[in-house]
Amino acid sequence: MHGEYKTPGGKLVVVDLEVYTGRLARVQVSGDFFLEPEEALDRINAALEGLPATSDEAEIAQAVRQVTAHAEMIGFSPEAIAVAVKRALSS
Amino acid sequence: MRTNWHDYDWQLLRNGPLSPNLHMALDEVLTYEVGAGRRKPTVRIWEWGALAVVIGRYQSVKNEVDPENLGRYGFEVVRRISGGGAMFIEPGNTITYSVYAPQELVAGMSFQESYALMDSWVLEALKTLGIKAWYQPINDITSEGGKIAGAAQTRRGGAVLHHVTMAYDIDAAKMVQVLRIGREKLSDKGQTSAQKRVDPLRSQTGLPRAAVIDRMIETFDDLYGLNRDELKPEELEAARNLAETKFSRKEWIYIIP
Repeated sequence: MHGEYKTPGGKLVVVDLEVYTGRLARVQVSGDFFLEPEEALDRINAALEGLPATSDEAEIAQAVRQVTAHAEMIGFSPEAIAVAVKRALSS
Repeated sequence: MRTNWHDYDWQLLRNGPLSPNLHMALDEVLTYEVGAGRRKPTVRIWEWGALAVVIGRYQSVKNEVDPENLGRYGFEVVRRISGGGAMFIEPGNTITYSVYAPQELVAGMSFQESYALMDSWVLEALKTLGIKAWYQPINDITSEGGKIAGAAQTRRGGAVLHHVTMAYDIDAAKMVQVLRIGREKLSDKGQTSAQKRVDPLRSQTGLPRAAVIDRMIETFDDLYGLNRDELKPEELEAARNLAETKFSRKEWIYIIP
């Protein structure tokens, strides 16, 4: 499943994922955003992995926020990732 | 504490054509060399040795390129260490440069501010060529006719790497066959066609590509001083190793498939 969201005036976030037994699996966030340090992407993917597929945007954003407190996200946000995840889930 | 451009003895590297992977590797090596203080702050003008699509650190290969057309036209995919978007590279159509500076030059600045600062000399150079260009946050140089260039930055090992690809000319019809540019990406640009988004320097200046580059170098030299330098053998050796062990490997290029 595939979802995309472009933050107005910012960057594109792409999410590819699958759903196994009601939970997000094989989650891959990508896009033309800027992120420091680069390892933060693995933490974001891991934070999304296993979330209930019924999670709402606020819950998804919160899961991302918990692992990005010390990362710099430029042109996107936990909320933008949440929108892309929801779009993937409804694709 | 923040420094300024005049605090440094800037060096210029302008080599002949190199392979795309070696360019990726040189950017990593030279960033760390400047960060470690083994190399003075440097501006590097690139010459491309091959057709390439350069994707950002966080982009998915399959989302950005059309594999069939990529092969048909003889492009290779390389992945750089900075974020940002895909660049469509035809050697004679592209002007690419890197600036490697100590992080103190952008200390305390927002990313938006540091992008604009690192290209302020380029906007000045374009002005002398009669092009009214400005910074379009976060990372584009644009003019009334459209986008001229895209920049990307990353901060590593005490240094900031700022690299930029400018469109000298562009085969837009080919670009849209090789790159996938989705509708979502254009959603807030008010543009329906990827061709319309780029306004190349050739049509705006009527100058040969080398003359545009010369003017950029002159402008930097006038503003801050710039001394001609050469790559050190150990820098080239380190970059060759990194090109072989990292940048040419599938594990890196397809780190996000």
